Amino acid sequence: MSAFGAMGDGAGTTGTSTGLAKVVTLPRGRRGAELIMLAFAIGVVLFAYASVGLGLNGHVPTGLATYGVLFALLMLAAHLAIRRLAPWADPLLLPLAALLNGLGLVMIYRLQEAGRNGNPGNPISTMSASTTTFQLMWSTIGVIAFVAVLVVVREPRLLQRYTYTLGVIGLVLLALPALLPSSISEVPGTGAKIQVSLGGFSIQPEEFAKIALAVFFAGYLVAKRDVLSLAGRHVLGIALPRARDMGPVLIAWAASLLVLIFESDIGTSALFFGMFLIMLYVATQRTSWLLIGTSLFLGGAFLASQLVSHVGLRFSIWLHPFTYANVFCGAASVHVPCVPSYQLAQGMYGLGFGGILGTGLGHGQPYLTPLVQSDFIITAFGEELGLTGLMALLLIYGLIVQRGLRAAVAVRDPFAKLLAAGLSFVIALQVFVIVGGVTQLIPLTGITTPFLSQGGSSLVASWMVIAVLMRISDTARRPAPQPIQDEGMTQVVRAI
Amino acid sequence: MNHALRRVSLACLAMFLLLLVNANYVQGFEAGKLADDPGNGRTFAQQYQYQRGSIITADNQPIAQSKHVSGVYSFQRNYPGGATYAPVTGYDTPYSKTGIEQAEDKLLAGTDPRLTVRNLIDLVTGKPRKGATVQLTINSAAQKAAYQALKATGKPGGAVAIDPSTGAILALASYPSFNPNKLATLNGKALNKADKKYLNSPQQPLLNRAINETFPPGSTFKIVTSSAAFSGGKYTPDSRYYAPTNLKLPNTTNQLINYDHTPCNDGTNPTGTGKVPLIYAFTVSCNTVFGGLGMKLGGSALRHQAHAFGMNQELRIPLKVSVSRYPPVSDPALTAYSAIGQYNDTVTPLQEAMFSAAIANRGTLMRPYLVQKVIAPNLTPLVTTEPTELSHTASPAVAGQVGRMMAGVVAQPYGTAHSMVANLGGITVAGKTGTAQNGANNIGLDDAVFTGFAPVANPRIAVGVVVKGGGLGADASAPVAAAIIKAYINYLNSSAKR
Repeated sequence: MSAFGAMGDGAGTTGTSTGLAKVVTLPRGRRGAELIMLAFAIGVVLFAYASVGLGLNGHVPTGLATYGVLFALLMLAAHLAIRRLAPWADPLLLPLAALLNGLGLVMIYRLQEAGRNGNPGNPISTMSASTTTFQLMWSTIGVIAFVAVLVVVREPRLLQRYTYTLGVIGLVLLALPALLPSSISEVPGTGAKIQVSLGGFSIQPEEFAKIALAVFFAGYLVAKRDVLSLAGRHVLGIALPRARDMGPVLIAWAASLLVLIFESDIGTSALFFGMFLIMLYVATQRTSWLLIGTSLFLGGAFLASQLVSHVGLRFSIWLHPFTYANVFCGAASVHVPCVPSYQLAQGMYGLGFGGILGTGLGHGQPYLTPLVQSDFIITAFGEELGLTGLMALLLIYGLIVQRGLRAAVAVRDPFAKLLAAGLSFVIALQVFVIVGGVTQLIPLTGITTPFLSQGGSSLVASWMVIAVLMRISDTARRPAPQPIQDEGMTQVVRAI
Repeated sequence: MNHALRRVSLACLAMFLLLLVNANYVQGFEAGKLADDPGNGRTFAQQYQYQRGSIITADNQPIAQSKHVSGVYSFQRNYPGGATYAPVTGYDTPYSKTGIEQAEDKLLAGTDPRLTVRNLIDLVTGKPRKGATVQLTINSAAQKAAYQALKATGKPGGAVAIDPSTGAILALASYPSFNPNKLATLNGKALNKADKKYLNSPQQPLLNRAINETFPPGSTFKIVTSSAAFSGGKYTPDSRYYAPTNLKLPNTTNQLINYDHTPCNDGTNPTGTGKVPLIYAFTVSCNTVFGGLGMKLGGSALRHQAHAFGMNQELRIPLKVSVSRYPPVSDPALTAYSAIGQYNDTVTPLQEAMFSAAIANRGTLMRPYLVQKVIAPNLTPLVTTEPTELSHTASPAVAGQVGRMMAGVVAQPYGTAHSMVANLGGITVAGKTGTAQNGANNIGLDDAVFTGFAPVANPRIAVGVVVKGGGLGADASAPVAAAIIKAYINYLNSSAKR
């Protein structure tokens, strides 16, 4: 067994065992593989971009050269930064993120063009003619943030030092929209207070709070996990924690309920609490924490659905999206309770319309779904790329989560392990909540689709998450420092 | 911690599996259901992405076609015939359809199951989907003549022409009509404006008077009364029947009178106390004779005969036709009124044409139909209508007797429709006029009714015309019938020469 056994695939090393070999084969970072896959991802994105233009008006988009080259350069820059800053990082994460980011840009361009410049469809009033340019700008900021994280965080352990600082920052970011007046923090028409909007420029602080709190949870749990894993009473064969250790989970639960009530945002609330629970479970290996946490959350959510009308509506919409009053809300009589499931119903129609193979990019009518460019972007993909495209996207997300969890398994440092697990799981949960929501699997809650949705905060935060995961995988796969060698030595024999 | 991590991985795997399974369910299994949901605007807009089939006349004139346009919708529906053909084609708006556009929608749209295999082949070969062409039985010459003649009267009315030997509808016109092009617009504002204008117009231009408005048949109903009388075997056209100037009715002070209170006098009955032959009474349209004859035959015999002519029955051509009614009647006085097409008798112009068509076709009434055939986009015929019998109205002998009387109405100098001979250019016509009182206490203007067929010896066309408030049938409706007959017979002659 090699000393690098824990590093996972592709990082193994072999030393020459015979003769006077002067070359020691170093463990491979697989940056070449990353570059090839990145080129493939860029190719897919450019092809999709051209396909949108051909589907809409029969012409290759005029911006193909400029936008295409910009996007390719951006991703190459990220690749070069990795070569320098995290040469041992997982080679799959960057191509996957680039592919998602690129496809998101393509779909946003497609939606922006609907009804504009003589293309079929109605223009989407919530998008301007420069939305794609803005999104590309945000992608640039995202990649800069990605590189910045790699530059600043040279070791995952560095973050551990700022556990409580980041915890405070995370909580402030999370609470900020609730404390600000509705005019600044409410997303128009949804009732959810989740953003900070100033002068037409809006940021969703929760996206960044997610990362800060993940670091805080990891640091806190690493410190306290021994205490938290102490068993208390046994009930039905399950070892319950001691009552005095219930504090942290109750605080997290209360915080998530406050988010739910004051920001009317069940999605974010579920995301944070879910992330905390999973990290608590990984840290303590106690199933009882999961059970306690889940029942606390479900109970709280049920209570909130009774108390907060916004949350109660979501359930009603989920159960009966296609009733006449719901679909034709405006036309319904005032005596009929009118539930605005128009958006969900339109998204479902879009998915149904796309069928197995989809209409092809530019051939569908995704613009009929309100706000399709943000929460419902996955239905636009489902409509135009069909079930096939939707499943491909889900598999890309699945691979990102899998690579993240793999880094968590491989890394030795418990803090990094917890952080990678929390961030990977939160990506999975976020995809599950939003994709499950728009496909009527679970009640719909408005959260962004990582990398795809229009909007800067989510995109930048997603790139930062990828950066942290790559930093952790870089640490996990980095070979142990080579012993200083004398000139005369010809060979390093590693312990077997 | 790796043990817990593996479980977390499994949980993530489960979440993604759930999403995948659900996506497969929604897009694979529910797709059809979602597409058919009434709220789904995508399917609705989709219909304008394909070329809808054309509607053409029997003589291959396009009267509804889809033309390629640029914009949101790829195709724009266009009606070259405009108001003339509107009662037949109907309209195709983004929100509703009428007429053939509605009745044959699935074939025109190309979504009919009979087109599925062809659509699949087109999908594979990369050809765009296209709707089937619907060829009607309508003859453009007869249709144009019908609409122009109705329009010339300036009064609301309907006219229908049928090929008596097949039941094929040659013309189906209504006035006032509407311009379907105004409703086929894909401009929402213009559509709303046109829709409002037509809906609120007191002239009811959207009403298809040829098949969806009923009028009292008046004296044209004497065709039914005569058929019932001759079928009983006791009477022939030459039978003499009691012909008073005023017919006293039982259990009422009302008396049945002839038009203008004149006696029914063929030269033998100057005082209105004797009898006249039925053929004479038919030719000059004596109410008292047929009122009396009707009372003698009884309401149920008349009702039976009316049913044989297609009254009191649902009919689709495939447009839905309003039912022409001869309600049950037992009171003798009311029976007398009903025998001359008053009381509660109501007919559509199509029913008027069916009276004559049955007589012209030796008593056999063919089922009226509008669609001759449906032609798939690759020009193979998909559906071809075979003529079928609707009912036996009378024996060939009885039909011959009634036909002889109808011929007299036009040919005899004293016949009520003799004036139309001048407009016929030598074509012989058999017919019957009707001048129907209507409105409460008969204060409305009389409706002018005419039914007939031509040529007498070898009938090729049967027509029914009603002009609301037109006055005498001979004045307002007979000229419309003459115009249709002349246009169609001339068309037949010229196409035979070719």
